[in-house]
Amino acid sequence: MTSPTPSWEAAGPVHRTEPAPGRGTPRRGRGWRVATIVLAVALVVAVATAGYLWQTTDAWEDHAAEWEGEAQRYAEQVAALQVELDGVTAELVAAREQLDTATERITALADEKAQLGDENVASQQYLDYQRRVSEAAGVVATALGQCTQAQFQLIGYLENREAYDPADLERFGEDVQALCDEATEANDQLQQELSR
Amino acid sequence: MRAPLRAGVVAAAVALAASCGTLPDMPPPVPADLVPTVAVPSLDPEESARLSPDGFDAVQRMAVRIRNVGCQGLSTGSGFALDATTLITNRHVVADSESLQVNTYDGRDIDVSAASTAALADLAVVRTEDELPSAPELAEADPEPGASVSVVGYPSGGALTVTAGEVIGTTTDPLNENLGEVLVTDAPVEPGSSGSAALDEAGRVIGVVYAKTTDGRSLVVPQSTLRELLEDTSAFTPLPAC
Repeated sequence: MTSPTPSWEAAGPVHRTEPAPGRGTPRRGRGWRVATIVLAVALVVAVATAGYLWQTTDAWEDHAAEWEGEAQRYAEQVAALQVELDGVTAELVAAREQLDTATERITALADEKAQLGDENVASQQYLDYQRRVSEAAGVVATALGQCTQAQFQLIGYLENREAYDPADLERFGEDVQALCDEATEANDQLQQELSR
Repeated sequence: MRAPLRAGVVAAAVALAASCGTLPDMPPPVPADLVPTVAVPSLDPEESARLSPDGFDAVQRMAVRIRNVGCQGLSTGSGFALDATTLITNRHVVADSESLQVNTYDGRDIDVSAASTAALADLAVVRTEDELPSAPELAEADPEPGASVSVVGYPSGGALTVTAGEVIGTTTDPLNENLGEVLVTDAPVEPGSSGSAALDEAGRVIGVVYAKTTDGRSLVVPQSTLRELLEDTSAFTPLPAC
């Protein structure tokens, strides 16, 4: 950096240089006009932008309000449906419990019916057995009675033996013995059956 | 002075254009219908298994109780539906019978029209006049050891019961009632369980229970044997009356 060197001039009249008329002033005025126009346009744009932003803000506020309303409405629906769902779920649980109870009861009743059926069949078979035993006892009693009667008849024949052919008496005695053997055998079988 | 003004105008124009791009748009209209598309809820398998006309599942609905009114007494066994009018049970369940009486899970009486037995396995086919409530499917293959098995029947002639266990393996029939091998499971069975269906996890028939071992295991005629005999028209002969 160097300091300016002082210089000396002779004193004399001062001459000012004036701008040439018709050249500097119009140029400055045109610049100001252009600047003014630009600023005016910018102002208009700014005002328009501000207006647009105002409208946009209002629209978004309305939009948000509508969404809030929709959300509120659906929230109320969800709450109502939740209550309804809880009620239906409780009913379903109760219905399932009733169904389980009913199926258990049906199974138990089916079992009771089957057991009664078994008892009925067993009773019927026992009655049939008793009937067969009774019939067999009747047959045995009849056979034993016939045996006894035949033996009495044989005794009568033997007491009057001279009146009959010995061969016929012997044959009759054998028939009586066979009849009594059959009756005794049937009685033995009956006794064995009864003792089981 | 002209150049700065021109630059200012250009800058203003550029700023204006740029500001138009950054200005927020007007909001779209609120949709009239906001209900979202919801997938149709589906029931899980456990829930769908409960779906039936009366609350009984298919496993219970297919089981029947068989009362053998014999000439020498009374016995009971189990069976299961093969189709609408056909039952499968054991030969020894229906043997020496004067009449057969069939009851369903809900106590209904089913009239029997005919019965036939297999000579080569402890199996019998019973035809019914009335339709049976439900019929299962036969499994495609015999189960492997370790597979789950359920037995549904009437143990001791009592109430309808479902017991569970696993397939232990196979063995030759200790009772010499069946040709080929039979399945051994640890599913509990009792007298009266004979003829019960042994089912896999999907509810398909893997065999027919026919006996219980002294150590509490159950013996099952495998479904492959059942299939073979059902396909052989001469395998089953009419059941003679006692």
